[in-house]
Amino acid sequence: MLHYLIKRLLWMIPMLIGISLISFFIMHLAPGDITASESAFNPKASEESRQKLRALYNLDKPLITQYNLWLKRIIKLDFGNSFASHQRPVLWEIKDTKGNISKGMIQEALPITLMINLIGLLIIFSTSIFLGVISAVNQNRWPDRLITIIVFIGFAIPGFWLALLLMYWTGVTHSWLPISGLHSAGYEKMGHLAQYTDLFKHLILPVFISSLGGLASISLYVRNGMLDVLQQEFITTARAKGLSENKVIYGHALRNTLLPLITIIGLSIPGLIGGSVIGESIFAISGMGKLFFDAVLMRDFPVIMGILTIGSVLTLFGNLIADIGYAWADPRIRRGISN
Amino acid sequence: MKNLIHNPLAFSGLIIIAIVLFIALFAPWLSPYDPNYIDIHSILLPPSLIHFMGTDGLGRDVFSRMLDGSRISLLVGFVAVGIATIIGTFLGAIAGFYRGYIDSIIMRFVDIMLSIPTFFLILAVIAFLTPSIWNIMIVIGLTSWMGVTRLIRAEFLSLSNREYILAAKAMGARDMRLILKHLLPNSLTPIIVSSVLGIASAVLTESGLSFLGLGVQAPQSSWGNILTDGKEYIQFAWWLSLFPGLAILITVLGYNLLGEGLRDLLDPKNKN
Repeated sequence: MLHYLIKRLLWMIPMLIGISLISFFIMHLAPGDITASESAFNPKASEESRQKLRALYNLDKPLITQYNLWLKRIIKLDFGNSFASHQRPVLWEIKDTKGNISKGMIQEALPITLMINLIGLLIIFSTSIFLGVISAVNQNRWPDRLITIIVFIGFAIPGFWLALLLMYWTGVTHSWLPISGLHSAGYEKMGHLAQYTDLFKHLILPVFISSLGGLASISLYVRNGMLDVLQQEFITTARAKGLSENKVIYGHALRNTLLPLITIIGLSIPGLIGGSVIGESIFAISGMGKLFFDAVLMRDFPVIMGILTIGSVLTLFGNLIADIGYAWADPRIRRGISN
Repeated sequence: MKNLIHNPLAFSGLIIIAIVLFIALFAPWLSPYDPNYIDIHSILLPPSLIHFMGTDGLGRDVFSRMLDGSRISLLVGFVAVGIATIIGTFLGAIAGFYRGYIDSIIMRFVDIMLSIPTFFLILAVIAFLTPSIWNIMIVIGLTSWMGVTRLIRAEFLSLSNREYILAAKAMGARDMRLILKHLLPNSLTPIIVSSVLGIASAVLTESGLSFLGLGVQAPQSSWGNILTDGKEYIQFAWWLSLFPGLAILITVLGYNLLGEGLRDLLDPKNKN
C-alpha cells in the first residue's frame, strides 16, 4: 500500500507541470499580448495597469523565462493580486505594513463551493444508490420505467433554466425560500439555531440544482451496474445456497456495484467545480464559480489563472483520494499491492 | 433499422431529433417573422395566434427567434462534436495502435486535460479570445475529445489481437491500411454513441454559455440568450423563459435517448 501511495504521489508532479503548461498556454492565446486584450475590452484600463500586468507576467522577457518565473511563483503559491477587486490577494490573506489583513479571494470562496458540493455529493450518493437499486430490482416494471424517465429528464434539463423557474416559483410567487446569497440580512444578530436554519433555507435550491446532473448519471450507473452484477455466477451461487433475496441484493450485488463508484466520485469533481459557475451566478453565491465568472467578465487575469490552477490541483487531489479509497476498499487491489 | 423501431428509447429519440433537424434546416421558411425585426409597438405580448410564443422586450417574435436559435444549437452541436471526434479518434487510434511511449504520452495528456474543470477551461479561453459562435464551437470541441480518445484506444487494444488483424498483418498490410480498413470500421459503435451523446452535452454547454452572456452574441438569437432576456422579464413574461428552456430540454433529451438507445442496440452483448 505504501509503495502504491508513493508512486501515486510522485505521479502528481508531471501532472502538475502539465496543468501549469496548459494554463500558461491559454494565457498566451490572446491576440497580441494580454495587456492589449485587456485594454481593448476595458476602456478604463490605464497605461499604469497595463505596465503592472506586464511586470506581473514578465511579458517583456522570452517565453521560456516567462514560464519559469510564473512557475516559480506558483510553487510558492503566489498568485499575485487581483486587478479589479481593490488589489486583493488572489489566494491567501496578506498582512500589510500597518498590520491590516486583507483576505485572499480564493480563501474566502473555496469553502463555500466545497460546502455546497460536499452536501450535494452526499445527497447524490444516498438518493441515486436508492433509485438505482429499485430500478434494477424491478427491471422493466413500472418503478424502473418511472425512474428511467426521471433520470433522462434529469440529464437533459438545463440546470440554469430549472434554477430560474424554481427561484421564481418558490422565492417570488410564494416566498417560501430566499432567492439569493447564503445569509439573510441581520444574520450576525441571529442565535445559533436561527443561523443554521437560515443557511439551510438558502442552501436548498443551490444544492438541489448542483446535484441534479450527478443524481441522474449515478442512478443510471448504479442501475446498469446492478443488472450486470446480478447476471454473474456468484449471484446464482448465492441464490442456489438459499440466501434470502435481500441478502443477495444488498450483501452481494450492491457491494460489488458500489466499488467503482469511488472512482466516479473522483472523476466527477471537475464537473462539480466547473458546474458551480452557472449555479452560483444565478443564486448570487460568492463561491469559486461566481468569483471565476466575475473575473472572466472583468478580465481579471491573476484571478482567472489562480482559479484555473487551484481548481485543477484540487481535482488532482480528489482523484488521488478516490484512487487510494478504491485501493483500500477493494481487497483484490489491496492484497495485490501489499504482495 | 428494424431494431431501431422496436427499441422505444432509440425510436423516440430518433423522432425528436428528426423533428429538430427539420425545424433547424427549414427555419427561414417556417418562421412567420424576421427573427431580428424590432417592433416597438408590440413589446412583451403574451402568446397568441399572431405571435405563437409571444414577443420579447424589443417586440421581436419569440417563435421566429426560437426557430432561428435552433440552427445555432444544431451548428454548435455538430461542429463541436465533429472537432472532438476527429481529434479523439486520431489520438486514440495512434495510442491504441502504436502503444509504447506514444500511448503513454497521449494518455497522460488525456489525464491532464481531464483534471482541469472543463467549464473553467472554456470560460478562461473565451476570456482571452472574444466570445463568438465560432470560438465557442472550437473551444467546446477542443475541450471534449478526451472521452473519445479513451474509447477508441480501448477498442483498438482489444481488436488488435483478433485473428483477422493478425492475418492482415501477416499478409503485409501497412499501418495506414490496418487502421483505416480494419480497425476503424470495427470501432464505429463507440464513436457513434459517444458522438450522439456529445452533441447533447455541447448543446447544453452552448446554451449555458449564451445564458451567461459569454456565448452567442446579440442580435443573433440562441436558446440560451433568449433565456437571458427571460430572466430579466420573468415577473411579467413567463413565455420568454418557458419556451427556450423546454426547447433545450427536448433537444438534449432526444440526443440522449438516441445515444443510449443506439448503445443498447449496437452492443453485441444485447444481441437477440
